[in-house]
Amino acid sequence: MKKFLSLSLFVMLALFLAACGNDDSSGDDTTDGDETSGEWEPEQSIEIVAPAGAGGGWDTTARMAAQVFQEEGIISEDIGVVNKPGGGGAVGWAYIANQEGSNHNLFVSSSPILLVPLSGQSEYGHEDFTPIANVIADYGAFAVNADAPWEDLNELFEDMKEDPSSITVVGTSSPGSMDHIQFVRFAKAAGVDITKIKYVSAPDADGITQILNGSADVYSTGVAEVVEQAKAGNIRVLAVTSEERLDGDTLSDFPTAKEQGIDEVFINWRGFFGPPGMDQAAVDYYEAKFKELSDSDAFAEIRANYGWDEMYMGSEEYKQFLDEEKESLESILEELNLLGE
Amino acid sequence: MDGVLEGIVSGLQVAFSLQGILFVLIGVFIGTFIGMLPGLGPISAIAIMIPLTYGMDPALALVLMAGVYYGAVFGGSTSSILLNAPGISGTVATSFDGYPMAQQGKAGKALAVAAISSFAGGTISVILLMIFAPVLASVAISFGPPAYFALMLLGLTAIASLSEGSTLKALISAVVGFMIVTIGIDPQTGTARFTFGSANLLDGIDFLVIALGLFALAEVGYLIINRKQKGMKNAKEIGSLKLTKEDAKEMGGPISRHSILGFIIGILPGAGATIASFISYITEKRISKKPEEFGKGSVKGLAAPEVSNNAATSGAFVPLLSLGIPGSGTTAVMLGALLVMGIQPGPLLMTDRPEIFWGVIASMYIGNIFLLILNLPLIPYIARVLTIPRPLLISMVIMFSVIGVYSISFNTFDLYLLLAFGVIGFLMRMFAFPAPPFILAFILGGMMEQAFRQSMTISNGSLMIFIENKIALVLIILSLLSFLYPIYQSYRNKKRAAREVG
Amino acid sequence: MPLYEVNGNAVGFIRILSMAKGGLFMLQNVNRKAGIILFLVAMVYLIFSYQLPSYPYIPVDADFIPKVLGWLLAILSVALFFAKDQDSEEQKKKRQIPKKDAIAILVVMGMVFVYILLLEIIGFVMMTALFIYLTSWFLGYDRHVTNAVVSVLFPVILYGIFNYLLQIHLPSGILPV
Repeated sequence: MKKFLSLSLFVMLALFLAACGNDDSSGDDTTDGDETSGEWEPEQSIEIVAPAGAGGGWDTTARMAAQVFQEEGIISEDIGVVNKPGGGGAVGWAYIANQEGSNHNLFVSSSPILLVPLSGQSEYGHEDFTPIANVIADYGAFAVNADAPWEDLNELFEDMKEDPSSITVVGTSSPGSMDHIQFVRFAKAAGVDITKIKYVSAPDADGITQILNGSADVYSTGVAEVVEQAKAGNIRVLAVTSEERLDGDTLSDFPTAKEQGIDEVFINWRGFFGPPGMDQAAVDYYEAKFKELSDSDAFAEIRANYGWDEMYMGSEEYKQFLDEEKESLESILEELNLLGE
Repeated sequence: MDGVLEGIVSGLQVAFSLQGILFVLIGVFIGTFIGMLPGLGPISAIAIMIPLTYGMDPALALVLMAGVYYGAVFGGSTSSILLNAPGISGTVATSFDGYPMAQQGKAGKALAVAAISSFAGGTISVILLMIFAPVLASVAISFGPPAYFALMLLGLTAIASLSEGSTLKALISAVVGFMIVTIGIDPQTGTARFTFGSANLLDGIDFLVIALGLFALAEVGYLIINRKQKGMKNAKEIGSLKLTKEDAKEMGGPISRHSILGFIIGILPGAGATIASFISYITEKRISKKPEEFGKGSVKGLAAPEVSNNAATSGAFVPLLSLGIPGSGTTAVMLGALLVMGIQPGPLLMTDRPEIFWGVIASMYIGNIFLLILNLPLIPYIARVLTIPRPLLISMVIMFSVIGVYSISFNTFDLYLLLAFGVIGFLMRMFAFPAPPFILAFILGGMMEQAFRQSMTISNGSLMIFIENKIALVLIILSLLSFLYPIYQSYRNKKRAAREVG
Repeated sequence: MPLYEVNGNAVGFIRILSMAKGGLFMLQNVNRKAGIILFLVAMVYLIFSYQLPSYPYIPVDADFIPKVLGWLLAILSVALFFAKDQDSEEQKKKRQIPKKDAIAILVVMGMVFVYILLLEIIGFVMMTALFIYLTSWFLGYDRHVTNAVVSVLFPVILYGIFNYLLQIHLPSGILPV
């Protein structure tokens, strides 16, 4: 029975330490809260959360931003990237929402922060956080097999209007998320009955495989995923979702939907946010630093390599953009009956 | 053909340059280390390396990352064998026979079998890769959803053969494992299934949580019961690498079979080392003359998955390098890394940048030799882990499982799940429900369901799609045979037994 | 070692552990109980399956496979209930867990629970050191110096490797680094 001493000791010590831990962190909070006005500078290392696992788009953006911040000396404090995967972002957002008022926690996000709460799978949406700056954008593309009968987007949509059951659209994510919604938006603009669209979700790289082997007909994805296959002549890009044609070797050959008479645009924006209740002075500080990052040559090179576009928006503009974007997405999800509780 | 030859030469130049050799060495060293730690897999390791490779020569960077990848698969077997705690998902099947063998005091032998099998699987598959890579591109994309469904079905029909004793209990284990994988967002509809409103469950339960819970923690339970047993004393004997002539003979068959089988499965995007290792294990057991030895420390049962997972790792490079299609999570991250360096991996990589394509392949050959040289002499020391006194070993296994899960999810929720699956795994053992069918159904079931429903959407609900697709049809017929044959066999045996009695 | 006698006040878990004790008669009992539990699991799973929202744009909806699995488990659990099991001696032995050991398992489980609970609050290094030291001690490791050295060195080295070499941030908790 003497052995049980160790257990009780374990619990007691742990509880004691926990109590100390709480004291410590609450002390931190008050000093942070005091500085509400004037010039603000980070006082400790900064944490950027990627609400996803290592290796994805959010993770890459966060790590690349952190690297440029440090290497170019834009921010001298240490910056650590932390992964909080789960729930398509929801787990990470819940984690950030708990850091209310902190000035040293940022996170990266894109359209899922609008779509996931709309589908009822996250308690928190962009309204709950402090938008700091948008940094990059990339665009969607619709591609078909090189042997497919459709030469442009209109031909495809005409066939879809006639016999929607003959055409399968494939994307990486589930219905109600990006790949699906971007296609639906354009189909709707072209007058296709969007409740009849056959959509298959194929994780990872299965989408392109299904186009190449003819299992599915149309691939709705990001431009970067299709460039090389198009260059090799394996697939045909019917349209990109940008306002104007993109710059670049093969990229500039891709027609926009707009020039084909379908008046719709889809931007996959990506930017940084802070926790709820971040001090205005800190927001101003980060806003300026992200501007500096966005303007730097080092980041321009990274953008070019990944095929990202520059799209800087400051805090205010960003917030407004997000509000509008959410409204438009909400109406589409409503029509598809995909809105969550 | 000239172009290809030039390409191979330029690739060899990369791989055999001083820098090339150095980077292979660093890569496989990091990989082995990461593989040995339960949980932390090559994906995180490579993702973290991306900023470091920024500005490096792309061929060398890829050589380095590839080294980490197959090094991790190589090293992952160590903790599976010694602690029943799979280092990475591709080495779960390794523990089925590796752990019992180590428990019999033959840890050194088990590690040596694993290392030699890994080396053979890695090397043979690299040779296959070199000869066939250009033609294999078409194999990589030949599988549509119906064919994937049939492949997973073929894997699942083997459940009965994975069990000792009660087939009924094996089936129950499998159904429950399949149920667990339905937790989370359903990709085809976006519906959240069985998440009870918890965001933590939306992405489903991670494979490692289940593998470490059902295998490592459940084993801890039994280690606690036997905690008074002294740790294995005779370090010399445990660490002994000696393989008998029979052992070598035993390994020959699995090596020749599974280096090809694993390689082909590895080529298919989405299948990967984990599925390859399971399918190889099952196949080996099926064709074995002594299936009853499997799960009790069979050399063949250990060699098969180890050959296969390493062969599959090389296979995974086929779609990546020849088509720009990442077949696995790890190769997807590598693709991202290439982008940082300004390389667009795609169908043209082989002609535009042959030195990258062939450089990586050639380096894998060197890498596998390094791995063998690096690992074999270390085995006697690594095997000594088992001489650690039981109480200390128990707390270390628990700690490594906890860090392993934490380092992929950064979330204590998953740690509670880990504990829960540890309890489930322990109870399953107590009541003789086998764990392998559970984990097999967890891996194959999820993919099978998705492939099935993708097929049905494509065909507007017609089952004919599985018959019209030739690959699917062949695989379905094979599944039927593999399902019916054991039934026929036991019927025949019973009849014979009855005749003998009568 | 004395086997644990069935005791009304025992914790549920121990009761399950001890349930297995006994001969063939009890054995069938075990299968019956497992069958009933699994049947209940199947029913709960089915109830949730039937409540899944429908998604109208797809021929095979999200609830199809779960329903199949639920019914399959229900059928299999009934089969198990009536099954005559061919249980080996070895299996029976696995279920006979002495009371002391069952309690030890529960205590270690409790320690793991506390370890997880406080991991992020107190931090990886201190919690891991405490956990290794006390768990090993509890399980009968009495070389305290070695134990202390190991339980401090391991987490410190691992923390260093993860945080500084691999850039994977384990919780620092109350420690300043």
